[in-house]
Amino acid sequence: MIDPVTLAVVNNALVNICREMGITMIRTAFSPIFNEGLDFSCVLFDRRGNMIGQAEFCPAQIAASLFIVRWTLEELGVDSFEPGDVVLHNDPYRGGAHIPEHAVIRPVFHEDELFGFVANVGHLAEIGGKAVGSFAADATEVFQEGLRIPPVKIVKRDVNDMDLWRLIMANHRTPRNTWGDINAQIGSLRVAERRVIELLDRFGRDFIDKAAEELMDYSERWMRAEIEAIPDGAYAFTERMEDDGVVDEPVTFHVTVTVKGDELIVDWTGTDPQVRGPINATYGVTAGATYNAVFHLTDHHIPKNSGAYRPIRIIAPPGSAVNVVYPGPSVGGNTETHPKLADMVIAALAPALPDRVAAAEGGTACNFLFGGIHPKTGDYYANYHLEGGGWGAKSYDDGNDAIIVKNGNCRNTPVEIFETRFPLRVVEYSLIEGSGGPGRMRGGLGTRRILRVQEGAEVTCNALFDRTKEGFGAFGLEGGGTGGRGAILVKRKGEAEFRTFSEVFGTTSSSKFTNIVLTGGDEVLIHSPGGGGYGDPRERERERVARDVFERFVTPEQARAVYGWQGA
Amino acid sequence: MGTWREQTPAVWETVVTPCDCCGQVVAKRLWIVEVDGGERRFCSPECEDLYREYVLPRKAADR
Repeated sequence: MIDPVTLAVVNNALVNICREMGITMIRTAFSPIFNEGLDFSCVLFDRRGNMIGQAEFCPAQIAASLFIVRWTLEELGVDSFEPGDVVLHNDPYRGGAHIPEHAVIRPVFHEDELFGFVANVGHLAEIGGKAVGSFAADATEVFQEGLRIPPVKIVKRDVNDMDLWRLIMANHRTPRNTWGDINAQIGSLRVAERRVIELLDRFGRDFIDKAAEELMDYSERWMRAEIEAIPDGAYAFTERMEDDGVVDEPVTFHVTVTVKGDELIVDWTGTDPQVRGPINATYGVTAGATYNAVFHLTDHHIPKNSGAYRPIRIIAPPGSAVNVVYPGPSVGGNTETHPKLADMVIAALAPALPDRVAAAEGGTACNFLFGGIHPKTGDYYANYHLEGGGWGAKSYDDGNDAIIVKNGNCRNTPVEIFETRFPLRVVEYSLIEGSGGPGRMRGGLGTRRILRVQEGAEVTCNALFDRTKEGFGAFGLEGGGTGGRGAILVKRKGEAEFRTFSEVFGTTSSSKFTNIVLTGGDEVLIHSPGGGGYGDPRERERERVARDVFERFVTPEQARAVYGWQGA
Repeated sequence: MGTWREQTPAVWETVVTPCDCCGQVVAKRLWIVEVDGGERRFCSPECEDLYREYVLPRKAADR
């Protein structure tokens, strides 16, 4: 047995290697989605495909990175890797979360022997397909979502396969950014490889192997102890999405969480069959949402390696909305479905863990993507913007305001980036008064943003939102109320009122649409949803209600009607 | 008793096979088992166990 102090040192070293990969990405990537949005994950694996280190970047990829690497090693064979190789892969049916997310995987050799792998999964902002930004909200098959790449070696023994690069570049709208962003990913792998070798030189290869094994066993024991503390039983929950972007009907998801001793079985049977539109989740998304929820409910100090995942069994029926099969579309599953699935697992366990759960969050990434020819530079630009919403209240505190969905950890596009790199002006960005679900603890607030297209510009935009319709807001728990709804509206130049895109442009879904062209003076209004409340609002401390009114988090009318406030 | 079966897809076969129990991708080797007169494809013997101990009783209860 390795002593706990040394084990902690090794664990911190492994995690810090992953963090340094991330910093390399932030500093060298071309696109705001990486250096501002942080939409990537960095991981280390041993040669058997066990994850031994992970940094805290994008939780959406916690399972995708796990499965992408493991299954790629199985498919290609560990022996097929040579020093300096890099495998590129974005196939959503092979572990990926959705097609924009590209994994790069590089072997680490130490003294001519394979030690393991370093990998980086990042969301490229533009990969072709029918919609600018590769987020086709009305896609009906994967081919409309962008260029699909099975595991292929894009670098062989540190030499780029330029034929492959040219093939990829020819299919993306912003190839210069693709070149910069994938090379930033590959650069982060080289940094990590160097650090792993330094670690092996310092401690010895056998010692690090042993430490990684012990760390995984430690995480597994800790996770099993956490699960064992939950009362045995079967806990179920059902949730709906307002539509799939193609067919204007709700989509139903169902989960049963069975706690049996120190193991969890999370069974998604009962969910609707795979739908026509792109809100289907891949296996990687559903597994990621499940792990994400379990990590929210258990001690966050558990080292995040393969050991922590072992006690959790997942059943995601192929051909359902939680496990899309070829050629079904899935680009929105990672952003719209993941947060709902995670909230469902959390809500299912509310009777067993009332002091650990939270009500539902906004549950939509408010994906707003746009692109076109910049009138000042003549260059093609594209950007993927996410908007934060309100998070759900807990038994002991209010929900956070204006935070990206729990699978994101990402940041929005700063106002300065909108206005300097793209032909858009941010007219307003504010919290929405009264949008938090009422409760003894209040849901977090959603946000309101208005973007105006600059004169002389033409902007093609796509949106993939949810929770915009009555009856689909973020649910509360224990008597807490529903959060405020989201919205994506448009006002043409010279018009007085914002209206839905369906009203103005005839889109099937008012919250999910593709390739709408806006021109100078047009404005887009984005409302992100609020989070659900927890507990009876009339039991909220009067001082908190008064402060909410003073801070304009809650309207006086809402305070009186819902919270029973007697103030002026 | 199951057996391992290695998959060797042709270059035009771009789709991978899911496990009949958990839905995970089986990248290379399938665990083939006969259950109730039909062939089932699992990702591992552990998934066969889960199928027998959890999925089949649940299906029986649902009926």
